[in-house]
Amino acid sequence: MFDNFTDLFSAPLTINWTLSFRCNFSCSHCYSRDEQVAELETADVKKIIDILVAKKIPFINFGGGEPLIREDLFVIAAYATAQGLNVSMNSNGSLLDESAATRLLKSGFKSVGISIDSADPALHDDFRNMPGSFEKAVAALRVLQNVGLKRTMSSVISRINFQHFHELLDLARRYEVAQVYLHNFKCSGRGFKNREDLDLTPAEWKTFYVEALRVKQQTHDLAISFDDPVISSLPGYDTDPLVNGSSCGKLSLNLRPNGDLTPCGFIPLTVGNILHDDFDEIWYNSPVLNQMRNKRAGGKCLDCGSYEACQGGCTARSYAVTGDFNQPDPHCWK
Amino acid sequence: MDYFTQRPLRNSDIVWRREQRKEERVLRALEEGEAVDEQGTVLLVVSGTMHQLNLVGGMIWCLCDGTRTVDEITAQLADEFSVSRDELESDVREFFDELQQRGWLSYV
Ligand code: SF4
Repeated sequence: MFDNFTDLFSAPLTINWTLSFRCNFSCSHCYSRDEQVAELETADVKKIIDILVAKKIPFINFGGGEPLIREDLFVIAAYATAQGLNVSMNSNGSLLDESAATRLLKSGFKSVGISIDSADPALHDDFRNMPGSFEKAVAALRVLQNVGLKRTMSSVISRINFQHFHELLDLARRYEVAQVYLHNFKCSGRGFKNREDLDLTPAEWKTFYVEALRVKQQTHDLAISFDDPVISSLPGYDTDPLVNGSSCGKLSLNLRPNGDLTPCGFIPLTVGNILHDDFDEIWYNSPVLNQMRNKRAGGKCLDCGSYEACQGGCTARSYAVTGDFNQPDPHCWK
Repeated sequence: MDYFTQRPLRNSDIVWRREQRKEERVLRALEEGEAVDEQGTVLLVVSGTMHQLNLVGGMIWCLCDGTRTVDEITAQLADEFSVSRDELESDVREFFDELQQRGWLSYV
Protein backbone atom coordinates (compact mmCIF):
# COMPACT_ATOMS: atom_id res chain seq x y z
CA MET A 1 0.00 0.00 0.00
CA PHE A 2 3.01 2.33 0.27
CA ASP A 3 4.42 1.96 -3.22
CA ASN A 4 4.96 5.55 -4.24
CA PHE A 5 8.04 7.56 -3.50
CA THR A 6 5.90 10.38 -2.16
CA ASP A 7 4.19 8.06 0.34
CA LEU A 8 7.23 8.54 2.54
CA PHE A 9 8.81 11.73 1.22
CA SER A 10 6.54 14.72 1.75
CA ALA A 11 9.14 16.98 0.13
CA PRO A 12 12.71 16.72 -1.13
CA LEU A 13 15.55 16.88 1.35
CA THR A 14 17.67 19.29 -0.68
CA ILE A 15 17.04 22.33 -2.81
CA ASN A 16 19.85 23.07 -5.23
CA TRP A 17 19.40 26.77 -5.74
CA THR A 18 20.78 29.02 -8.42
CA LEU A 19 20.20 32.57 -7.18
CA SER A 20 21.87 33.97 -10.27
CA PHE A 21 23.29 32.61 -13.49
CA ARG A 22 25.81 35.46 -13.51
CA CYS A 23 29.40 34.35 -13.22
CA ASN A 24 32.82 35.91 -13.58
CA PHE A 25 34.11 32.73 -15.26
CA SER A 26 33.31 31.07 -18.57
CA CYS A 27 34.01 27.37 -18.13
CA SER A 28 33.98 24.84 -20.96
CA HIS A 29 31.60 22.40 -19.27
CA CYS A 30 29.18 24.87 -17.66
CA TYR A 31 25.54 23.86 -17.85
CA SER A 32 24.28 27.36 -17.16
CA ARG A 33 26.72 29.91 -18.59
CA ASP A 34 24.54 30.73 -21.55
CA GLU A 35 21.35 31.09 -19.49
CA GLN A 36 19.72 34.42 -18.73
CA VAL A 37 16.80 34.60 -16.33
CA ALA A 38 15.36 37.44 -14.25
CA GLU A 39 16.54 37.30 -10.64
CA LEU A 40 14.37 37.66 -7.57
CA GLU A 41 14.65 40.46 -5.03
CA THR A 42 15.87 39.57 -1.56
CA ALA A 43 12.32 39.81 -0.17
CA ASP A 44 11.06 37.15 -2.59
CA VAL A 45 14.06 34.95 -1.86
CA LYS A 46 13.11 35.15 1.82
CA LYS A 47 9.54 34.17 0.97
CA ILE A 48 10.92 31.07 -0.73
CA ILE A 49 12.95 30.24 2.35
CA ASP A 50 9.75 30.49 4.40
CA ILE A 51 8.17 27.93 2.06
CA LEU A 52 11.15 25.59 2.43
CA VAL A 53 10.92 25.88 6.21
CA ALA A 54 7.18 25.18 6.13
CA LYS A 55 7.80 22.12 3.95
CA LYS A 56 10.56 20.96 6.30
CA ILE A 57 13.18 20.82 3.54
CA PRO A 58 16.39 20.75 5.57
CA PHE A 59 19.18 21.44 3.06
CA ILE A 60 19.90 24.28 0.66
CA ASN A 61 22.91 24.20 -1.61
CA PHE A 62 23.59 27.40 -3.53
CA GLY A 63 25.17 26.90 -6.92
CA GLY A 64 25.19 28.97 -9.99
CA GLY A 65 26.42 31.00 -11.63
CA GLU A 66 28.78 32.12 -8.93
CA PRO A 67 26.79 32.48 -5.68
CA LEU A 68 29.08 35.20 -4.31
CA ILE A 69 28.08 37.48 -7.20
CA ARG A 70 24.85 38.13 -5.29
CA GLU A 71 25.73 40.67 -2.65
CA ASP A 72 22.77 39.62 -0.53
CA LEU A 73 24.00 36.00 -0.33
CA PHE A 74 25.07 36.49 3.30
CA VAL A 75 21.74 38.03 4.31
CA ILE A 76 19.85 35.24 2.53
CA ALA A 77 21.95 32.51 4.14
CA ALA A 78 21.65 34.08 7.59
CA TYR A 79 17.87 34.21 7.17
CA ALA A 80 17.78 30.51 6.25
CA THR A 81 20.18 29.30 8.91
CA ALA A 82 18.36 31.29 11.63
CA GLN A 83 15.35 29.09 10.83
CA GLY A 84 17.34 25.90 11.17
CA LEU A 85 18.14 25.18 7.53
CA ASN A 86 21.50 23.66 6.63
CA VAL A 87 23.12 25.87 4.03
CA SER A 88 26.08 25.12 1.80
CA MET A 89 27.31 26.37 -1.55
CA ASN A 90 29.60 25.70 -4.48
CA SER A 91 31.90 28.43 -5.68
CA ASN A 92 34.75 28.93 -8.11
CA GLY A 93 36.59 30.54 -5.21
CA SER A 94 37.68 33.66 -7.07
CA LEU A 95 35.71 36.09 -4.89
CA LEU A 96 36.36 34.25 -1.67
CA ASP A 97 38.85 36.26 0.35
CA GLU A 98 39.28 36.31 4.13
CA SER A 99 36.50 38.84 4.61
CA ALA A 100 34.02 36.84 2.48
CA ALA A 101 34.99 33.65 4.34
CA THR A 102 34.32 35.32 7.67
CA ARG A 103 30.93 36.54 6.45
CA LEU A 104 30.06 33.06 5.18
CA LEU A 105 30.91 31.64 8.58
CA LYS A 106 28.88 34.29 10.39
CA SER A 107 25.88 33.76 8.15
CA GLY A 108 25.83 30.13 9.22
CA PHE A 109 27.13 28.21 6.20
CA LYS A 110 27.74 24.57 7.15
CA SER A 111 30.23 23.97 4.35
CA VAL A 112 31.59 25.58 1.22
CA GLY A 113 32.62 23.66 -1.88
CA ILE A 114 35.31 24.90 -4.22
CA SER A 115 35.42 23.69 -7.82
CA ILE A 116 38.81 22.45 -8.96
CA ASP A 117 39.04 20.43 -12.14
CA SER A 118 42.72 19.64 -12.30
CA ALA A 119 45.62 19.54 -9.88
CA ASP A 120 47.67 21.03 -12.70
CA PRO A 121 47.16 24.82 -12.39
CA ALA A 122 47.61 25.50 -16.12
CA LEU A 123 45.06 22.85 -17.07
CA HIS A 124 42.51 24.10 -14.53
CA ASP A 125 42.97 27.70 -15.72
CA ASP A 126 42.61 26.66 -19.33
CA PHE A 127 39.46 24.61 -18.63
CA ARG A 128 37.95 27.51 -16.74
CA ASN A 129 39.09 30.04 -19.33
CA MET A 130 40.52 32.16 -16.55
CA PRO A 131 44.24 32.65 -15.92
CA GLY A 132 45.07 32.58 -12.22
CA SER A 133 41.84 30.79 -11.27
CA PHE A 134 43.63 27.76 -9.79
CA GLU A 135 45.62 29.95 -7.41
CA LYS A 136 42.43 31.73 -6.38
CA ALA A 137 40.62 28.43 -5.82
CA VAL A 138 43.31 27.02 -3.53
CA ALA A 139 43.64 30.39 -1.78
CA ALA A 140 39.89 30.17 -1.11
CA LEU A 141 40.36 26.73 0.44
CA ARG A 142 43.07 28.22 2.64
CA VAL A 143 41.00 31.18 3.89
CA LEU A 144 38.05 28.90 4.58
CA GLN A 145 40.35 26.74 6.64
CA ASN A 146 41.65 29.82 8.47
CA VAL A 147 38.18 30.88 9.54
CA GLY A 148 37.23 27.31 10.46
CA LEU A 149 34.61 26.58 7.81
CA LYS A 150 34.19 23.03 6.54
CA ARG A 151 35.50 22.71 3.00
CA THR A 152 34.59 20.38 0.20
CA MET A 153 36.04 20.14 -3.30
CA SER A 154 34.09 19.50 -6.47
CA SER A 155 35.61 18.18 -9.66
CA VAL A 156 33.67 17.42 -12.79
CA ILE A 157 35.20 14.32 -14.32
CA SER A 158 36.01 14.82 -17.99
CA ARG A 159 38.72 14.01 -20.51
CA ILE A 160 41.11 16.47 -18.85
CA ASN A 161 41.20 14.75 -15.48
CA PHE A 162 39.81 11.21 -15.53
CA GLN A 163 43.24 9.63 -15.60
CA HIS A 164 44.56 11.98 -12.93
CA PHE A 165 41.88 11.97 -10.26
CA HIS A 166 44.40 10.62 -7.71
CA GLU A 167 46.16 13.97 -8.00
CA LEU A 168 42.91 15.76 -7.24
CA LEU A 169 42.56 13.65 -4.09
CA ASP A 170 46.12 14.50 -3.08
CA LEU A 171 45.39 18.17 -3.61
CA ALA A 172 42.33 17.84 -1.36
CA ARG A 173 44.50 16.24 1.31
CA ARG A 174 47.02 19.06 1.11
CA TYR A 175 44.27 21.57 1.83
CA GLU A 176 42.61 19.37 4.45
CA VAL A 177 39.34 19.23 2.58
CA ALA A 178 36.68 17.09 4.28
CA GLN A 179 35.04 15.65 1.19
CA VAL A 180 35.70 15.42 -2.54
CA TYR A 181 32.83 15.18 -4.99
CA LEU A 182 33.77 13.61 -8.29
CA HIS A 183 30.84 14.76 -10.38
CA ASN A 184 29.86 12.88 -13.46
CA PHE A 185 29.89 14.86 -16.65
CA LYS A 186 26.49 16.19 -17.70
CA CYS A 187 25.59 16.79 -21.32
CA SER A 188 23.79 20.07 -20.62
CA GLY A 189 24.46 23.64 -21.73
CA ARG A 190 28.09 24.01 -22.75
CA GLY A 191 28.65 20.47 -21.55
CA PHE A 192 26.42 19.36 -24.42
CA LYS A 193 28.10 21.62 -26.98
CA ASN A 194 31.58 20.50 -25.90
CA ARG A 195 30.60 16.91 -25.34
CA GLU A 196 32.82 15.50 -28.09
CA ASP A 197 35.89 17.10 -26.54
CA LEU A 198 35.09 16.55 -22.87
CA ASP A 199 32.95 13.49 -22.32
CA LEU A 200 34.44 10.00 -21.91
CA THR A 201 33.36 6.95 -23.85
CA PRO A 202 31.23 4.41 -21.94
CA ALA A 203 34.27 2.08 -21.71
CA GLU A 204 36.33 4.90 -20.22
CA TRP A 205 33.60 5.66 -17.71
CA LYS A 206 33.64 2.05 -16.64
CA THR A 207 37.43 2.04 -16.22
CA PHE A 208 37.26 5.28 -14.27
CA TYR A 209 34.52 4.11 -11.91
CA VAL A 210 36.05 0.68 -11.26
CA GLU A 211 39.21 2.43 -10.16
CA ALA A 212 37.41 5.23 -8.29
CA LEU A 213 35.27 2.72 -6.35
CA ARG A 214 38.39 0.76 -5.44
CA VAL A 215 40.13 3.92 -4.23
CA LYS A 216 37.05 5.02 -2.30
CA GLN A 217 36.89 1.70 -0.46
CA GLN A 218 40.55 1.92 0.50
CA THR A 219 40.54 5.59 1.48
CA HIS A 220 39.88 6.43 5.09
CA ASP A 221 41.35 9.91 5.51
CA LEU A 222 39.06 11.61 2.98
CA ALA A 223 35.40 11.19 2.06
CA ILE A 224 34.98 10.58 -1.66
CA SER A 225 31.54 10.90 -3.20
CA PHE A 226 30.21 10.24 -6.65
CA ASP A 227 26.53 10.17 -7.10
CA ASP A 228 26.02 8.37 -10.39
CA PRO A 229 23.42 5.58 -10.60
CA VAL A 230 25.02 4.09 -13.71
CA ILE A 231 27.67 2.52 -11.44
CA SER A 232 25.09 0.31 -9.71
CA SER A 233 26.34 -2.75 -11.57
CA LEU A 234 29.94 -2.38 -10.36
CA PRO A 235 31.50 -4.16 -7.38
CA GLY A 236 31.83 -1.97 -4.31
CA TYR A 237 28.73 0.09 -5.02
CA ASP A 238 26.54 0.64 -1.96
CA THR A 239 22.91 0.46 -2.95
CA ASP A 240 20.70 2.93 -1.19
CA PRO A 241 17.79 1.12 0.44
CA LEU A 242 15.53 4.15 0.17
CA VAL A 243 16.13 5.56 -3.28
CA ASN A 244 17.20 3.85 -6.49
CA GLY A 245 18.46 5.55 -9.62
CA SER A 246 18.83 9.30 -10.01
CA SER A 247 17.96 11.29 -6.91
CA CYS A 248 16.68 14.29 -8.91
CA GLY A 249 12.99 14.93 -8.45
CA LYS A 250 13.11 12.56 -5.47
CA LEU A 251 15.61 13.70 -2.87
CA SER A 252 16.31 17.02 -4.51
CA LEU A 253 14.78 19.71 -6.67
CA ASN A 254 16.42 22.59 -8.46
CA LEU A 255 15.44 26.24 -8.10
CA ARG A 256 16.21 28.70 -10.85
CA PRO A 257 16.85 32.44 -10.25
CA ASN A 258 13.21 33.35 -11.00
CA GLY A 259 11.72 30.77 -8.64
CA ASP A 260 11.04 28.15 -11.32
CA LEU A 261 11.49 24.59 -10.15
CA THR A 262 13.07 21.91 -12.31
CA PRO A 263 13.84 18.30 -11.32
CA CYS A 264 17.55 19.09 -11.46
CA GLY A 265 19.83 21.73 -12.91
CA PHE A 266 20.44 19.63 -15.98
CA ILE A 267 16.85 18.97 -17.02
CA PRO A 268 15.33 22.07 -18.61
CA LEU A 269 11.72 21.20 -17.77
CA THR A 270 9.95 23.59 -15.43
CA VAL A 271 7.54 21.81 -13.13
CA GLY A 272 6.17 24.96 -11.52
CA ASN A 273 7.14 28.20 -9.83
CA ILE A 274 7.64 28.05 -6.11
CA LEU A 275 6.26 31.55 -5.55
CA HIS A 276 3.20 31.22 -7.76
CA ASP A 277 2.21 27.57 -7.55
CA ASP A 278 1.30 25.34 -4.64
CA PHE A 279 4.38 23.36 -3.60
CA ASP A 280 2.49 20.21 -2.63
CA GLU A 281 0.64 20.21 -5.94
CA ILE A 282 3.97 20.29 -7.78
CA TRP A 283 5.63 17.73 -5.51
CA TYR A 284 2.87 15.16 -5.55
CA ASN A 285 1.28 15.69 -8.95
CA SER A 286 3.80 17.01 -11.45
CA PRO A 287 3.67 14.61 -14.42
CA VAL A 288 7.37 15.20 -15.10
CA LEU A 289 8.41 14.40 -11.53
CA ASN A 290 6.19 11.34 -11.43
CA GLN A 291 7.59 10.07 -14.72
CA MET A 292 11.09 10.44 -13.33
CA ARG A 293 10.13 8.59 -10.15
CA ASN A 294 8.42 5.78 -12.06
CA LYS A 295 10.71 5.13 -14.97
CA ARG A 296 10.09 2.21 -17.27
CA ALA A 297 13.02 0.28 -18.65
CA GLY A 298 13.75 1.09 -22.28
CA GLY A 299 16.27 -0.23 -24.81
CA LYS A 300 19.02 -2.40 -23.33
CA CYS A 301 17.80 -1.69 -19.77
CA LEU A 302 14.93 -4.11 -20.47
CA ASP A 303 17.25 -7.08 -20.12
CA CYS A 304 19.61 -5.66 -17.54
CA GLY A 305 19.93 -7.29 -14.12
CA SER A 306 20.98 -3.97 -12.59
CA TYR A 307 17.83 -2.08 -13.50
CA GLU A 308 16.30 -2.09 -10.04
CA ALA A 309 19.22 -0.21 -8.52
CA CYS A 310 20.27 1.72 -11.62
CA GLN A 311 16.89 2.70 -13.05
CA GLY A 312 18.51 3.41 -16.40
CA GLY A 313 21.21 5.65 -14.93
CA CYS A 314 21.23 9.43 -15.01
CA THR A 315 17.84 10.63 -16.23
CA ALA A 316 19.22 14.05 -17.19
CA ARG A 317 21.76 12.53 -19.54
CA SER A 318 19.24 10.19 -21.14
CA TYR A 319 16.87 13.10 -21.65
CA ALA A 320 19.57 15.41 -23.05
CA VAL A 321 20.73 12.91 -25.61
CA THR A 322 17.51 11.05 -26.55
CA GLY A 323 14.67 13.29 -25.33
CA ASP A 324 13.30 10.29 -23.40
CA PHE A 325 13.67 9.70 -19.65
CA ASN A 326 13.37 5.95 -20.14
CA GLN A 327 16.25 5.40 -22.50
CA PRO A 328 19.52 4.04 -21.08
CA ASP A 329 22.08 6.52 -19.82
CA PRO A 330 24.47 7.26 -22.71
CA HIS A 331 27.37 6.65 -20.31
CA CYS A 332 26.29 3.05 -19.76
CA TRP A 333 28.89 0.51 -20.90
CA LYS A 334 26.67 -2.55 -20.77
CA MET B 1 22.64 7.20 37.41
CA ASP B 2 19.51 5.08 37.18
CA TYR B 3 18.70 4.27 33.54
CA PHE B 4 15.05 5.23 33.95
CA THR B 5 15.79 8.74 35.19
CA GLN B 6 18.23 9.57 32.38
CA ARG B 7 17.10 11.93 29.65
CA PRO B 8 17.89 10.78 26.09
CA LEU B 9 19.00 13.49 23.71
CA ARG B 10 19.28 13.20 19.93
CA ASN B 11 22.67 13.91 18.34
CA SER B 12 22.26 17.47 17.04
CA ASP B 13 24.39 16.72 13.95
CA ILE B 14 21.67 14.43 12.66
CA VAL B 15 19.18 16.10 10.36
CA TRP B 16 15.76 14.51 10.57
CA ARG B 17 12.18 14.92 9.47
CA ARG B 18 8.99 13.49 10.85
CA GLU B 19 6.83 12.46 7.91
CA GLN B 20 3.43 13.24 9.38
CA ARG B 21 1.38 12.28 6.34
CA LYS B 22 2.97 8.83 6.29
CA GLU B 23 2.65 8.53 10.05
CA GLU B 24 -1.10 9.14 9.87
CA ARG B 25 -1.50 6.52 7.14
CA VAL B 26 0.60 4.00 9.07
CA LEU B 27 -1.50 4.58 12.19
CA ARG B 28 -4.65 3.89 10.19
CA ALA B 29 -3.09 0.74 8.71
CA LEU B 30 -2.15 -0.38 12.23
CA GLU B 31 -5.72 0.08 13.42
CA GLU B 32 -6.82 -2.13 10.55
CA GLY B 33 -4.47 -4.85 11.74
CA GLU B 34 -1.83 -4.52 9.02
CA ALA B 35 1.85 -5.15 9.64
CA VAL B 36 3.62 -1.80 9.71
CA ASP B 37 6.96 -2.61 11.35
CA GLU B 38 8.86 -2.04 8.11
CA GLN B 39 7.20 1.28 7.36
CA GLY B 40 9.34 4.36 7.97
CA THR B 41 7.79 7.51 9.39
CA VAL B 42 10.89 9.48 10.37
CA LEU B 43 13.79 10.17 8.03
CA LEU B 44 17.29 10.72 9.34
CA VAL B 45 20.29 12.01 7.44
CA VAL B 46 23.43 10.90 9.24
CA SER B 47 26.68 12.12 7.68
CA GLY B 48 25.07 12.22 4.26
CA THR B 49 23.44 8.78 4.53
CA MET B 50 19.70 8.36 4.81
CA HIS B 51 17.95 6.15 7.32
CA GLN B 52 14.35 5.69 8.37
CA LEU B 53 12.70 4.83 11.66
CA ASN B 54 9.42 3.00 11.92
CA LEU B 55 6.36 4.21 13.78
CA VAL B 56 7.49 3.24 17.29
CA GLY B 57 11.13 4.15 16.70
CA GLY B 58 10.08 7.44 15.15
CA MET B 59 7.83 8.31 18.07
CA ILE B 60 10.61 7.57 20.54
CA TRP B 61 13.05 9.61 18.47
CA CYS B 62 10.72 12.62 18.47
CA LEU B 63 10.53 12.49 22.26
CA CYS B 64 14.31 12.42 22.76
CA ASP B 65 14.83 16.16 23.18
CA GLY B 66 16.66 15.87 26.48
CA THR B 67 13.70 17.04 28.58
CA ARG B 68 12.01 13.67 29.15
CA THR B 69 13.33 10.74 31.16
CA VAL B 70 13.37 7.17 29.84
CA ASP B 71 10.64 6.51 32.37
CA GLU B 72 8.42 9.27 30.97
CA ILE B 73 9.04 8.23 27.36
CA THR B 74 8.16 4.62 28.11
CA ALA B 75 4.99 5.69 29.93
CA GLN B 76 3.96 7.92 27.03
CA LEU B 77 4.42 5.11 24.51
CA ALA B 78 2.52 2.64 26.68
CA ASP B 79 -0.31 5.13 26.77
CA GLU B 80 -0.15 5.82 23.01
CA PHE B 81 -0.30 2.12 22.04
CA SER B 82 -2.48 0.98 24.97
CA VAL B 83 -0.02 -1.66 26.13
CA SER B 84 1.55 -2.26 29.51
CA ARG B 85 4.90 -0.73 30.38
CA ASP B 86 6.37 -4.16 31.04
CA GLU B 87 5.69 -5.21 27.49
CA LEU B 88 7.54 -2.18 26.13
CA GLU B 89 10.46 -1.78 28.48
CA SER B 90 12.90 -4.24 26.97
CA ASP B 91 12.19 -3.12 23.37
CA VAL B 92 12.64 0.51 24.30
CA ARG B 93 15.88 -0.27 26.08
CA GLU B 94 17.18 -2.22 23.10
CA PHE B 95 16.33 0.68 20.81
CA PHE B 96 18.08 3.21 23.04
CA ASP B 97 21.14 0.94 23.34
CA GLU B 98 21.38 0.65 19.58
CA LEU B 99 21.02 4.39 19.01
CA GLN B 100 23.60 5.12 21.69
CA GLN B 101 26.01 2.64 20.14
CA ARG B 102 25.63 4.31 16.77
CA GLY B 103 26.31 7.70 18.37
CA TRP B 104 22.87 8.98 17.45
CA LEU B 105 21.85 9.58 21.03
CA SER B 106 23.36 10.47 24.39
CA TYR B 107 21.96 10.86 27.87
CA VAL B 108 21.83 14.13 29.75
S1 SF4 C 1 21.54 -1.18 -19.18
FE1 SF4 C 1 20.26 0.37 -18.20
S2 SF4 C 1 19.83 -0.44 -16.14
FE2 SF4 C 1 21.57 -1.60 -16.96
S3 SF4 C 1 23.39 -0.56 -16.19
FE3 SF4 C 1 22.94 0.31 -18.24
S4 SF4 C 1 21.64 2.12 -17.85
FE4 SF4 C 1 21.66 0.85 -15.96
